[in-house]
Amino acid sequence: MNEELLWVQQAQQGKDEAFTKLVEAYQTPVFNLCYRMLGESALAEDAAQETFLRAYQHIRRYDPQRAFATWLLSIAAHHCIDALRRRKYPLFSLDAEDQDGNATELPDPRAPDPEQASVESQTHQRIRALLDELDPTDRAAVILRYWRDCSEVEIADTLQITVSAVKSRLHRSRRQLAQVWQTQDERFELERRTYEAPAF
Amino acid sequence: MKPRHFEEWLLNDTPLNEEQRRELQNHLRTCAACAALQESASALRAAPSVAPAAGFTRRFQIRLAAQRSAARRKNFWGLALFIVAGLSLTFWLAAPYLLLFAAAPAQWLSLLIGDALFLFTTLQTLAEVFSIFSKILRGVLSPAAWMTLLAALTGFSLLWAASLWQIRRAPQGVSL
Repeated sequence: MNEELLWVQQAQQGKDEAFTKLVEAYQTPVFNLCYRMLGESALAEDAAQETFLRAYQHIRRYDPQRAFATWLLSIAAHHCIDALRRRKYPLFSLDAEDQDGNATELPDPRAPDPEQASVESQTHQRIRALLDELDPTDRAAVILRYWRDCSEVEIADTLQITVSAVKSRLHRSRRQLAQVWQTQDERFELERRTYEAPAF
Repeated sequence: MKPRHFEEWLLNDTPLNEEQRRELQNHLRTCAACAALQESASALRAAPSVAPAAGFTRRFQIRLAAQRSAARRKNFWGLALFIVAGLSLTFWLAAPYLLLFAAAPAQWLSLLIGDALFLFTTLQTLAEVFSIFSKILRGVLSPAAWMTLLAALTGFSLLWAASLWQIRRAPQGVSL
């Protein structure tokens, strides 16, 4: 029996230490999903905590035939989708992330390498802007695909939609993301030309 | 090859051989739409996973303890309110009778005994009627019919229990 299944079984019997092990093991994937969905670390923290609380309350309902990660991410994804649909959360972010992927504030101009930090922040904001264009369910599908490397079947299981719906959502999202990417490129190019234009 | 095929390759993340990869690279140099498809996907893949700030588990434990305490408080006040409301209602409904009882206790006691006796005799009559009916049915129905009736009743009970069990099983993960 693998360790995770043992923790799940112990948690189902009411052992808090076992559930704590599960929190430690899954905090990053759950937080990352919430962060990419909601765009701000404070909101992501709240959503991730809520996900684990719901999982704790309903752990007895978990069917061990299903992957625990899928079950947990399903709770997180639906919580974030509901939150976005209620328009409770703003669809933009001023947060950035460091090299290891930890959520941080925007780069400090007095930091040792402000140029590098600025490039990272720009990339981060570009990704944020890309994701913000997507419908909440499409966004969840894209995040599961690109950050969790989930298969279409796993995404379908997590979001409780059909595999063909996942496929069509991913295709539509990819086209939409590419269009935004192209627009961003054109805007950056225009800005670059404006700055490089000779002053008369 | 039509550009449509290149788009399909990119959208489906199709594994490509050397020749196909070369074809795709040549196409990407001339097609801005397909280049954007590839670049946007690469940017998403390259972005790292974001980890929560240190102490996430500890914060979860604090939140869980707070939630439990709030649930306990809610249960306590809910129970207290229920008891107080129940007692008040009972007292309010019983108050006129209590006042009457206090005014003439002997009369009320005899009335109570009369009601109790009536209830007792009614129950006794019902039991007798039931026993007569069962004797009649036993004579009318053959043992095979009784067996069939019992089997049908057992089957319906099992079906009922299975339905309850199915209803109790909620779908995993979605609306909790």
